[in-house]
Amino acid sequence: MSKARMRRETEGGQGRSKAVEGGRGWRHALRRIFGMPDYDAYLEHCRRAGHAPRLTEREYLKEFFESKGKGVRCC
Amino acid sequence: MLLWGGISALGAAGFGALALSRGEMVNAAWLLVAAVCTYAVAYRFYSRFLAARVFGLDERRATPAERFNNGRDFVPTNKWVLYGHHFAAIAGAGPLVGPVLAAQFGFLPGTIWLVIGVVLGGAVQDFTILFCSLRRDGKSLGQMAKEEVNPAAGAMAMLAVLFIMIILLAVLALIVVNALKASPWGLFTIACTIPIALVMGWWMKVWRPGRVGEASVAGAALLLLALVGGGWVATHPTLGPAFTHTGVALTAMMIGYGFVASVLPVWMLLCPRDYLSTFLKITTVLALGVAILVILPPLRMPALTPFATLGEGPVFAGKLFPFAFITIACGAISGFHALVASGTTPKMLAREPDARMIGYGGMLMESFVGVMAMIAACTLDPGVYFAMNTTPAALVQASDVLRHAGFVVPPETMQALAAQMGEQTLIARTGGAPSLAVGMAQIFAGVTSGLGGKALMALWYHFAIMFEALFILTTIDTGTRVGRFMLQEILGHVWPRFRETSWYPSVLVSSALVVAAWGYFLYQGVVDPLGGINSLWPLFGISNQLLAAVALCVGTTILIKLNRARYAWVTLAPLAWLVTVTMTAGWLKVFSTDPRLGFLAHAASLVGSADPNAPRLVFNDRLDAGIAMLFMIIVTLLIVTSLWEWWAVLTRRKPAVTREAPYVESAYAAGD
Repeated sequence: MSKARMRRETEGGQGRSKAVEGGRGWRHALRRIFGMPDYDAYLEHCRRAGHAPRLTEREYLKEFFESKGKGVRCC
Repeated sequence: MLLWGGISALGAAGFGALALSRGEMVNAAWLLVAAVCTYAVAYRFYSRFLAARVFGLDERRATPAERFNNGRDFVPTNKWVLYGHHFAAIAGAGPLVGPVLAAQFGFLPGTIWLVIGVVLGGAVQDFTILFCSLRRDGKSLGQMAKEEVNPAAGAMAMLAVLFIMIILLAVLALIVVNALKASPWGLFTIACTIPIALVMGWWMKVWRPGRVGEASVAGAALLLLALVGGGWVATHPTLGPAFTHTGVALTAMMIGYGFVASVLPVWMLLCPRDYLSTFLKITTVLALGVAILVILPPLRMPALTPFATLGEGPVFAGKLFPFAFITIACGAISGFHALVASGTTPKMLAREPDARMIGYGGMLMESFVGVMAMIAACTLDPGVYFAMNTTPAALVQASDVLRHAGFVVPPETMQALAAQMGEQTLIARTGGAPSLAVGMAQIFAGVTSGLGGKALMALWYHFAIMFEALFILTTIDTGTRVGRFMLQEILGHVWPRFRETSWYPSVLVSSALVVAAWGYFLYQGVVDPLGGINSLWPLFGISNQLLAAVALCVGTTILIKLNRARYAWVTLAPLAWLVTVTMTAGWLKVFSTDPRLGFLAHAASLVGSADPNAPRLVFNDRLDAGIAMLFMIIVTLLIVTSLWEWWAVLTRRKPAVTREAPYVESAYAAGD
C-alpha cells in the first residue's frame, strides 16, 4: 500500500484517464530528469498540501532558476 | 545463488580473456562482459551490505524530501527519474576523457581501475555521502565537514573545493580549446550554441514562460542545423577562415565567455545550455552503448603498452602507478561527486532505500560510460591514437619507444583520416576529446554503414565534438558561477556587502577573479610546448582524488560517531588507497628529478636557457608545484584533524555527537 501511494504522489495526479495520466507522468518525469521547472507539479503539490499556491508562475520560474544557478555539474 | 555464481564466472572469464591476451586483438565484448558482471555482483551483494548493515537504511524513516516538501527544491521523486537526474549531474567530460588519456598504458590497467575502483571506492563514496546528507536534511559536504569533524575542517574543505574548481575549469577549457583549434566546423557549431541558448532562454522566460519543453525541442533542432551547417561553413572561402583560430585566440574567447556566462542571469544562458547538454548527454551515451553492443568492435590497442612501466608516455609522463589512478578519476572515483551527492539529490529522495540505487547504482553507470570511452579509444589504431595525442616536442622524446612498439602511422594515413573527419589535421590534437570523437565516429559510422556511414563520418566526428564541448561548457558556466559564490562568501568576511550575490560590483569583481584564475592556467596549458595536458591533467586528477579523500574522511567520521566503527573499513580502505596514490603522484609531480615529470626539475632544466619563453615556463612550473603542494598540505591537515576526531571518539575522550536529524516516521509507511 505504501509503495502504491508513493507512486501516486511522486509521479502524477488522480482521476484522469490512464492515457492522459501517463502522458503527464512522462512529461513530469522528463522535466525532473533534465532539471527543468515544472509549475504544474508545483500547483499539484499545493493542491495536495491543502493551501493556495504562494508563487505565481513567473515568481516560481525566478526562484527555480536562481536555485539552479547555485548547483554544480560534475566534471 | 546459481544465477549469481554463473554471473561471477562469466565476469571472471571476461577478465581472463582480457588479461591473457598476448598481442592478438581482443573483442570489446569481453571488456563489456567483465565490467557488467562485476557491476551486477557488486550491486547485488556489496551495495546491499552497505545499505542494510553499514548505513541501516530505513524505509519507515521520512526523508528530507518528504519532511520539507515545498514542490521546488525538496520534492519526493520517483527513483528512476531521480536516477536519470543524478546521473546527468555527475557524468561530464571526466569519465570520457580520463580513460582516453589512460589508454596510453593499454586497455587493461584503466579498465581494471574503472571497474574495481568504482565498486570499492567511487560508488561507496557517492553512496556514503548521499546517506550522510540524507540524514542531515540535505546538508552540503562543507557543512558536514564543519559540523561532524570540526569548523577548521569545514573551512579547509571549502578552500579545497575552490582551488579544485579553478584547476578543473582550466583543464576542461583546455580540452575544448584543443578540440576547436583550427577547426572551423567545430568552432562554428559550438559558437552557435550561444545564440541558440539565448533564444531558448528568451522563449521559456519571456515569450512563453515555463514552456521549457517547447524551447528545448526548438533548441535541439537548431543545434542539429548548426551541426550540418558547420560543414558548409568550413568549406566557405570567407566564413571558413573566420572560424579558424589559434589556441591563444580561442583561450581569449573562452575567458570572455566564462565571464559573461557568470554575470548573466541564469535563465538567459546557463539553464538553456544545461538542458541542451543534458539531452545530448543522455541520448548520446545510450546510443553509444547500443552501437558498441551492435558492432562489438575489436580493440587494437594492446592490453599493456611499454609506457606502463617505462613512464615516458607521450600523452602524459609517469608510470602506471600512480598515474593511471589519478588520470582516471571520474568513472572510478571522483571527489566532485560528493558535491552533487550532498547537493540536489538528497533533497529529492522519496525513500531512504532508494539511496542505494541512486548513489551506488548511479556511479556504476558512470563507470560504464568510462568503459565505453576506453573501448572507443582502444578501437583506434595505436599509431593514430599516439599521433593525435602527442605534441611534436613529446613525440621527439618518445619516438624510439613508439617505433619499437609499432605505434607509428605514415603521415598520409593521418591526412586521409583528417580529410575523412572534415578536419585540416588530426596530428597533435591533444586533450583526449578529438581521439574520442574519432573513435565514436567510427563506431557510429559502423552502425549506420547501410545508410552511407562512411560518408557521414565527418558529421559523426563533429557531433561527438559538439557532444563533449557542450557539456564541458555547461560545467564551465556552472563552475565559474559556483566559484564566484564561494569567493563572494570568502571576501564577505572582509567586506560584508560582498556576500550579496545580486550586488553587481561584487558579481563583476568576483567573476573576474575566478575567470582570471582558471584563465591563467588555461593559457599556461595552451602555450605549453608539451601540450598542457601533461601538467594540468595530473594536477586535476590529484585535486579531484584529494577531494574524494576529504569526502571519505567525513564519511568515516560519521560512521564512527554512529557507533559503526566496525564497518569503517568500507570508507577507510578506499581512503587509504587514494591517499597513497595521490600523495605519491603529488610528490613525484613536484619533486621528481625527471624534467618530464617533476615541475621543479623541469623548471631547473630551463634556468639559463636561451628560449625567450623560459622565464614564463619556469614561473609556471613553480606555480604548479606550489598548487600541488597546497592541495597535499590541505588534505594532510584534514586527515590529521579527522584522525584526531576518530581517536577522541573511539577512546571516549569526546562524546560521539552527530548532527543527524531526529527520526520522523514516514507518512508513506504509516499505511503498512
